[in-house]
Amino acid sequence: MTVSDEELVSRSQGGDVDSFNQLILRWERPIYALAYRVIGREEDARDVCQEAFLRAYRALPGFKGQAKFSSWLYRIALNLCRDWIRRQRRAPVVEIPEGVDPTELAAQTEPAESIEDLVARQELSGIVEEAMKVLPEEQRTAIILKEYHGLTFQEIADLQGVPLSTVKTRLYQGLSVLRRHLEKNGRMAPQSRNALKAFR
Amino acid sequence: MSETFQCGDNAALVGYLYDECELDERRAIDAHLSVCGACAAEVAALRSTRLSLSSWAPPETELGFAIVRAQASGPGPQTEARGPAPWVWWRQPLPAWAQAAAAVVLFGAGLALGITQGTDTPAAPAEGTVASAPAAATAPVRAVSADDLAALERRLRAEMAQMRTVSATNASAASAAPAEGSDGQVLARVRALIEESEQRQQRELALRVTQVMRDVDTQRRMDLAQIQGSFRQIEGVTGAQVREQRDMLNYLIRASQQAR
Repeated sequence: MTVSDEELVSRSQGGDVDSFNQLILRWERPIYALAYRVIGREEDARDVCQEAFLRAYRALPGFKGQAKFSSWLYRIALNLCRDWIRRQRRAPVVEIPEGVDPTELAAQTEPAESIEDLVARQELSGIVEEAMKVLPEEQRTAIILKEYHGLTFQEIADLQGVPLSTVKTRLYQGLSVLRRHLEKNGRMAPQSRNALKAFR
Repeated sequence: MSETFQCGDNAALVGYLYDECELDERRAIDAHLSVCGACAAEVAALRSTRLSLSSWAPPETELGFAIVRAQASGPGPQTEARGPAPWVWWRQPLPAWAQAAAAVVLFGAGLALGITQGTDTPAAPAEGTVASAPAAATAPVRAVSADDLAALERRLRAEMAQMRTVSATNASAASAAPAEGSDGQVLARVRALIEESEQRQQRELALRVTQVMRDVDTQRRMDLAQIQGSFRQIEGVTGAQVREQRDMLNYLIRASQQAR
């Protein structure tokens, strides 16, 4: 029988590290996915994911169970993502000089990714990933939480600290921007194009 | 919730899209969509956008974070999250070359074991057919039981007795060597046959190992060529995209500086 998050949290609060490690095992992939989609960088997403669990563990004695453990964890991870984005914004923009190949620079500073990973990543997510980058952070986060993590409007509103109507507006605006971006690149699914034609 | 739907109420459409609205509101929107082409098209487009979003998956990565208690002599238990858990070597996937090497070693060891323990392979193949006689070599090797050994001994004794009879007949006919001498000759001949068989099997093993190594090497070369081709293709695409982005970035920076 699967032990609930609440039970594992309770045991962890009692000093059982293994129970917290079970919670990590259960939630590390969703948290990593959230961080990756918000940040867009694999290594930084891993760092954020690790830091989120560390902070959660340290703050565990103060967790009273008012919210679900997962919501609490999402909040910690999102705050870390926001911090990361702020730091990136502060970073100075450096013009890439002519004659310098950025791919070579990247190869020098970042570990090489395997061919399989690279191809799969390009094929599966490249198009949407680029489209998502166009969105403002709050719209992107709302869409990520809704689409990929299945949170309710109310949960997203709580996490983002905004009214429920704002969440719906963010989702609508974000989806509309994505839709235009995908349409412009000819990436709309065929069945929807047919549906649109049928109505027009 | 309202039982009517105001055309253009996008927040309500989002609730409808994600199936997070009251039943009455859903019915009202359903009714509206059946008569309003614009709203129906809007919902269809948003659904299609959601469909496209489902293709975006984060890259697969090893996580394996875990809280560990540090052994430091602090007042309380210190904790830290470590990156990917230190994988023990037997849980890590072996690279292709290591798997191939392991296969060759295992194959060789199996063959060597078969040779040292002896097999009752009937009629060893002729010299010229060693390399192309995988059927005998790949026949399943079964454990040699005491019964097998006894049967082999009986067979050898029968053959020796038969040969002794033949040689005794020849000897009597020719009035030549004594019986003890013919036994010794038979034994020597059997030993020679066994040695010859062992040498043949060793040659076969050497040939087979060479063949496997050559196959592995060929496969490795093919894989490398394929990977290089993929690399070139990806580098071409990525390089072009990076150049475009760099040009765009530089243009934006220049434009923003001019605007100031």
